[in-house]
Amino acid sequence: MMIDERLQELAGLYVLGVLDGAELREFETALDRSAELRQFVAGLHPAVEAVAGSAPVAVPPPELRARILARIEPQKVLTLPDRPIAAVLWWWRALTAGLAVACVFLLVSDRQLRQTVAAQNQQLSQLQQLAQSLQTATNDLNHAVLALRESNRLANLRITMLNSLIADAPRTVAVTLWDYQAENGEFVVQNLKPLPADRDYELWVMDEHKVPVAAGVFHMDASGTTRMDFRPSREIKTPGQFCVTEEVKGGVDSPTIKNLILASN
Amino acid sequence: MNLAACIAFSPVFPRGKISPDLAMSLATIRVNPQDIQNDAAEAGRDMELFRRIGARDRDAFAEFYDRHATRLYSVAQRILNDAIEAQDVVQDAFVQIWEKAASFDPRLGQPSYWVVTLVRNKSIDRIRASQRRAKLADAAGAESALITEVAASAHESLHGQEKAGLIRSALVELPADQRHAIELAFFSGLTQHEISAQLSQPLGTIKARIRRGLLKLRDQLEGVL
Repeated sequence: MMIDERLQELAGLYVLGVLDGAELREFETALDRSAELRQFVAGLHPAVEAVAGSAPVAVPPPELRARILARIEPQKVLTLPDRPIAAVLWWWRALTAGLAVACVFLLVSDRQLRQTVAAQNQQLSQLQQLAQSLQTATNDLNHAVLALRESNRLANLRITMLNSLIADAPRTVAVTLWDYQAENGEFVVQNLKPLPADRDYELWVMDEHKVPVAAGVFHMDASGTTRMDFRPSREIKTPGQFCVTEEVKGGVDSPTIKNLILASN
Repeated sequence: MNLAACIAFSPVFPRGKISPDLAMSLATIRVNPQDIQNDAAEAGRDMELFRRIGARDRDAFAEFYDRHATRLYSVAQRILNDAIEAQDVVQDAFVQIWEKAASFDPRLGQPSYWVVTLVRNKSIDRIRASQRRAKLADAAGAESALITEVAASAHESLHGQEKAGLIRSALVELPADQRHAIELAFFSGLTQHEISAQLSQPLGTIKARIRRGLLKLRDQLEGVL
């Protein structure tokens, strides 16, 4: 491809430094795209150098050289082509050696860490076994304590049977369960005849001096069975006999002997 | 490249002292091939120095300065017509060479071309900054006519007297209108339109003159630079 006259003109202005504006942009685009145009431009360089060299000789003053050399940086280590490669190789080797040392260190650390973890797992297993055995022992002790408590509780209880004292109610039966520690009791009676609404049965507890102490009034329900928790109206450490009388509604302070219904031995 | 014109304008052979016959015989003399080899070696030397300068070699920088400072200072002085400003421009240019040599792209041309355009552009920038362009442009017309009368040019600092004479003769052989347009473009800092106005010629004519002049110079300098 030939370089046309217009491009040749632009090339001439370009190498002389007077091309500007849109023409400069257009020419630089063409220059980027065409190797032939670049070669043409390069061929004009000697002509421009010839024009520049036509200037009358003017010798720069000697101090200019010294001034310029003083302006540039102090001499540094020369970076000839083989030097950077050697430096890069040195750094590469140093980096490789450093990585190798780091790898060995990490391997040793990893091994030690694994050993520590295994030992701790073993200790944990032993502790779990110990905890399990302790739990079993604790359960056994709990059972033992419960058994002891039960034995102790039974030891504190007194069961007393009350017998019927009236001829027309031979099947009537009653029981008191007295807790020495709590100083109260439970009364259960069966097959006792119901009373009129203005009458109550009243439970009595004999104290250490065989004085009767009121322990509560009760009615018989339709099933013929009555259960009642009771506590004597005054403190009794060791109760004697238990008995039941028929009294007026709400009970009385002292039992009516002629109306005695049930009594323990 | 013939030597007739060169000798005609050489200080050894003052103008008007050479006969037409001698000029005709000298026209058949060709440039020694050894000179061409030397030119290639010089170009290679500049590239080598640039490579070393890029590697921060002060000795190479000093050698490059010694090879080109006079030519570059002459260009700056020619454009600026002021010694102090020319020194400033040359100093700026060499500092830039020191800083940019490592990134120099050979596709831009030879280092000698790059540095001369660097100094030229810095000088033109100074002219434009100081608003002295019109004044200098007026002077440029008169000075360009004096070039052929100058006994020595900046080429001698780099190429020696013989080759400088060849280059100068190539310039002298250019038609005056072409040489004038080229020199105004390079040294004055005028735009194309301003050159057109300065020379009272259409812009197309100026472009054509510059193109033809540069092509002729290129052809005449083939093997010399």
